[in-house]
Amino acid sequence: MSRREYLKNQKQKGRRLIGVFPAHYPREILWAFNSLPAEIWDPPLDIEGANAHLQPYICSVVKLGLELILQGKGDMLDGFLFPHTCDSIQNMASIVYDYLGVGKPCYFFYHPKAPYRPSSRRYYLEQLKSLVSRLERDLGPMDENELRRRVEQGHHLASILREIYDARRRGGLSASNADFYRMIRQGEYLHPDDFIPLLEDFLKASRGGDGKGPGVILSGVLPNPPEILNLLDELGVRVVDDDLLCCGRRIPMHTTMAQDPFEALVDSYFAMPPCTTKDSPLKGRVDYLLEKIAASKAKGVIFYLVKFCEPEWFDVPCMAEAVKEAGAAVLTVDVDLNQGLSGQLTTRIEAFVEMIGRQQEA
Amino acid sequence: MTAEDPIKNRDCVAGIDVGSLSTEALILDMECGTAGYAIVQTGANSTDAAVSALEKALAASGIERDQIRRIVATGYGRVSIPFSDKRVTEISCHAMGAFHLFPDTGIVIDIGGQDSKVIRVGEGGRVLDFAMNDKCAAGTGRFLEVMADKLQVALDDMGPLSLKAGGEIGISSVCTVFAESEVVSLVARNHPKEEIIRGLHRAIVNRVWSMVKGIGVRGAVTMSGGVAKNSGVVSLMEEKLGQPIHVYSEPQIIGALGAALVARRDLQDVQ
Repeated sequence: MSRREYLKNQKQKGRRLIGVFPAHYPREILWAFNSLPAEIWDPPLDIEGANAHLQPYICSVVKLGLELILQGKGDMLDGFLFPHTCDSIQNMASIVYDYLGVGKPCYFFYHPKAPYRPSSRRYYLEQLKSLVSRLERDLGPMDENELRRRVEQGHHLASILREIYDARRRGGLSASNADFYRMIRQGEYLHPDDFIPLLEDFLKASRGGDGKGPGVILSGVLPNPPEILNLLDELGVRVVDDDLLCCGRRIPMHTTMAQDPFEALVDSYFAMPPCTTKDSPLKGRVDYLLEKIAASKAKGVIFYLVKFCEPEWFDVPCMAEAVKEAGAAVLTVDVDLNQGLSGQLTTRIEAFVEMIGRQQEA
Repeated sequence: MTAEDPIKNRDCVAGIDVGSLSTEALILDMECGTAGYAIVQTGANSTDAAVSALEKALAASGIERDQIRRIVATGYGRVSIPFSDKRVTEISCHAMGAFHLFPDTGIVIDIGGQDSKVIRVGEGGRVLDFAMNDKCAAGTGRFLEVMADKLQVALDDMGPLSLKAGGEIGISSVCTVFAESEVVSLVARNHPKEEIIRGLHRAIVNRVWSMVKGIGVRGAVTMSGGVAKNSGVVSLMEEKLGQPIHVYSEPQIIGALGAALVARRDLQDVQ
């Protein structure tokens, strides 16, 4: 079933569909309102109208998101949620809400940026409650027991994802790189009632890889163009872990079930890996990546970056330097989403694979 | 480096480098080293260019086709050589080729027809790190071709002419399209060609320099690719580096040489 068919089906079942822009937001609250977040990262569209509203140096995540609205592809959605991720998404939220007037509810969600202080927890808690109040105005009262149930479900989902990531890191997953991310990214629109069993089946069916081939780690925003994953598969390279905003960086490293579901959500937020969109200190990001390299014995890191993504690019030179100093190879590629693989990009990736292959031989 | 050895029972390997502008084939005798090579224009068909280059290299070396035990293809057209046994990127091949010719090579600067690369080379010609220019032909051989045409100067004369320049005209963009219109304006104002050419060379060097800085200079520097034949670019690059650069007498064949060396290594591994 295609994403569109699935969402249509969910709507027929009585769920409200909320289009959510990247990246961090409390999914459990939307689930508790019997709403389904449909995340908007890289819709497969040609950019026709968004360039009239956005500067040339805005990334293609934002351009494609706005394009989706301008082309009416989001008509099925009942509202939009704009997390405060970066200046460009904030700018788009303003264009959509203040200027275009989409005629659907628009929700805004702010989360604390690092460095964290005791007040950061209080701030986040207030933001969660403020989002609930705003949603209640449109959707009616939220059942707190339902929220507790959905928070528990979110924890369960996170634990399965961690198990899948652990299996892959240990070389115990047979799924190709392309299949792995196709599966993980379905979480961007599937309801947890459907996604969790799918993940469990995937884990069961994919256990038992041979762990052969050099391992690499992906760091960046999202694995698009997906052709890069296909190429890595063809070249016999295993992606052993990731530091991708849309994937690994949104899985809490641990979860604790506090009595109060809001407190549990706060715990989860602060248990997420370091991230550029939270202004995490560089040292924390470097340490996190180096730990991943050590744990997975990765031979290299591919910084798989969306062109003009400022938060990511700020950190890359220092991150790349630290990875090289740790003895792993680095490849930095900058892409426009959905652009496919150019001959030059293919050469860069193949040369990188040859390089780590020969280093392994040496 | 033409083939003088007509012995017909020797095992040989070949490397073929299909670039955007030219295609090179090089035959390596397993015992005696390079037997011969050929350079042809790539034109519109990579496969035809590869066949033609190989035939010419065989003719130049006096080697028969059935003496070739293994062929490695490289360059952007490496995927279009159905008779090759293996494909290796030009980044690995330029590192191998340059290291073979100049064993003290630490950095290779390869400026080809439509891209440029800076490669850090380690023991045995291994690639330790590399950078490649991004998505357009700015500051490459194609850039120089367009400018030579606009200035009505033979490509081969650009280097010597720029070395005679009494001064230098700054070119503000290395984008082929923008630089072309800038050159037209400079010609219209009767600026000396030599000074414009020197400015163009400076723009290329500055463009590549950012990649050199990113990779870091360690050891000797070798230039490969067609643009290494341009003495003006090499001279400005040496000035920027503050050290001399190795330039082989035929820098265009370094990629094909590297490919042939990979073929030889593979064959030796099997044997």
